[in-house]
Amino acid sequence: MAITEQQSAAARPEQLVEMSWDPITRIIGNLGIYTKIDFANRRVVECHSTSSLFRGYSVFMKGKDPRDAGFITSRICGICGDNHTTCSVYAQNMAYGIKTPVLGELILNLGEAAEYMFDHTIFQDNLVFVDFCEAMVKDTNPSVLRRAESTEAPRGHIHGYRTIADIMRGYNPFEGEVYKAALRMSRLTREMFCLMEGRHVHPSTVYPGGVGTQPTPTLFTDYLTRLMQVVDFVKKAVAMNDDVFDFFYEALPGYEEVGRRRILLGCWGAFQNPDVVDYRYETMNEWGKAMYVTPGIVVDGELVTNDLVDINLGIRILLGSSYYEDWVNEEPFVTHDPLGNPVDIRHPWNQTTLPAPQKRDFNDKYSWVMSPRWYDRRTGEHLALDTGGGAFARLYVTALSNLVDTPYVRATGSGVQIHLPKGESLPETTLEWRIPKWSNAIERNRARVYFVAYAAAMAFHFIEQALERVRAGDQKVFQDFDVPDEAIGVGFHEAVRGVLSHHLVIRDGKIANYHPYPPTPWNASPRDHFGTPGPYEDAVQDMPIFEENGPEDFRGVDIMRAVRSFDPCLPCGVHMYLGKGRELRRIHSPMFGADHG
Amino acid sequence: MAQIRVGRPDTAPDAPAHTPGVREGNAKGAYRHQAGHRKDDTVDARKSTGIRPKDRNPILPSMPNLPPG
Repeated sequence: MAITEQQSAAARPEQLVEMSWDPITRIIGNLGIYTKIDFANRRVVECHSTSSLFRGYSVFMKGKDPRDAGFITSRICGICGDNHTTCSVYAQNMAYGIKTPVLGELILNLGEAAEYMFDHTIFQDNLVFVDFCEAMVKDTNPSVLRRAESTEAPRGHIHGYRTIADIMRGYNPFEGEVYKAALRMSRLTREMFCLMEGRHVHPSTVYPGGVGTQPTPTLFTDYLTRLMQVVDFVKKAVAMNDDVFDFFYEALPGYEEVGRRRILLGCWGAFQNPDVVDYRYETMNEWGKAMYVTPGIVVDGELVTNDLVDINLGIRILLGSSYYEDWVNEEPFVTHDPLGNPVDIRHPWNQTTLPAPQKRDFNDKYSWVMSPRWYDRRTGEHLALDTGGGAFARLYVTALSNLVDTPYVRATGSGVQIHLPKGESLPETTLEWRIPKWSNAIERNRARVYFVAYAAAMAFHFIEQALERVRAGDQKVFQDFDVPDEAIGVGFHEAVRGVLSHHLVIRDGKIANYHPYPPTPWNASPRDHFGTPGPYEDAVQDMPIFEENGPEDFRGVDIMRAVRSFDPCLPCGVHMYLGKGRELRRIHSPMFGADHG
Repeated sequence: MAQIRVGRPDTAPDAPAHTPGVREGNAKGAYRHQAGHRKDDTVDARKSTGIRPKDRNPILPSMPNLPPG
């Protein structure tokens, strides 16, 4: 809902109007975007991103059994909880000094591939595309819709829609064909996920040391038959997305400026290579580079590093505009990493969360989200990396790094080739995502549909490997372990919407410190103490407005497209608040020894 | 600690976790003690059934033993 408030007289430049959207809909959690828009020059002048949600995972995880971490942190999110479980398992594997058996790792990769397909599809086709559908465009840019009605869709032979407006009608919520087909696809992909990880979205069969999924041949063939139904949908989706997004560039010259920001991308890598990964910190650089989505950091279009150790040591959690007290005077948990490198007090391993609730003040503190930054040793800058909604950074880093080379997905240095087999109606297809010139709303959205194809293609690769092992009689999917008294661990993974890290410190066999850093704290972060705005703020600030409506009936569709392109997910953005009316019940739990505490 | 007021905890943070004396499924050696799991990562019919498992093994040694399902 837009709240409009005309500013008093002396506002410069003219027609400066404060507009805020709080909460933003069609995303998860509480995100507020507060802007000042100059309608005379059709430009956003200032933007603040704020969240009124405090979770406290890093507070209440302390003292718990580390083996519970995957099950608890999964509840951070109602859509990508399994990414947290997986990441927690990675961190615990490191702390316990174990590795998941190959077949177990493949099952996990297959589950995560299904999650990427499910989540990206539902977000793209059922939520993002509402901003690009016929009904919305008619309301905000009628002239663009008129043009769409007469513009032939260049890839009509693949998706079957004659004009761009026909595609847009397909995306109309609740009625459009594509909108409904996407819902059916999400059902299929969730079934695929449940086959591998037991339950969506909080997995029941994913543990440190392996999985509880029974690796029967039927498990994999059930997955494969569903995957075969998904491939054609993906081919069509890519074609439709390309048509619509190319049309927007053409119909609205300058649209590349919407949501555009400096290219500052981070990807922490996904899909472990089971033959290489041993989860030891000392060899993290090697197994990180062997991942099937390469981890890395890109600054201004150039790859800075692929080394997970560098990535880890550069993470800094800054304050400045967040409702927390500083923890620099608290005790550090990890002064040096296992390789002997010093670890900063602002690193998640050393963070102590000290919440300090207060009034929102845009000149001081205004969000529960902290400001994660990456310290660039070369320049001394604290970079406000974004994830480009996840898919964008993953494809960008993988393409530039040129390390992934599988029969289905291959990085080329300037792009990523994705090979999809013949489906029910469409032939074998090779798609190619190429590194775009900009980091903007359209390219983030476009990358998302390409990553659905990427995940589907990788799933074929994993399933072939898994079936080969099963045919040879391999049935080992878990490994036993003891919980050490003292240990540290870190897990790097990609949540659907971007970078995910879990930092774990174990003392006396219990969690001494645990900090999950999901993508949204990176993307939705407020200004840090250096004054650097977070990615949403940065992308929206100084952005041109293309909507044809004036201040009275302004929908803010361009701003929403910019913010939603990052795939905001605020429950993971902030780390439960029990205010007045707090009720806690203690109930009997039928478990031997449950009352021992 | 932070300056916010919080109530007294009702329970210990690790209350639902492990109770000393109860066998842990993850403990080292657990895998080896489960019937039917072999050292080379393959399994035999004892993994699936305790009733005349030998009769349920593959008829040729070169055939993999796969659980029903």
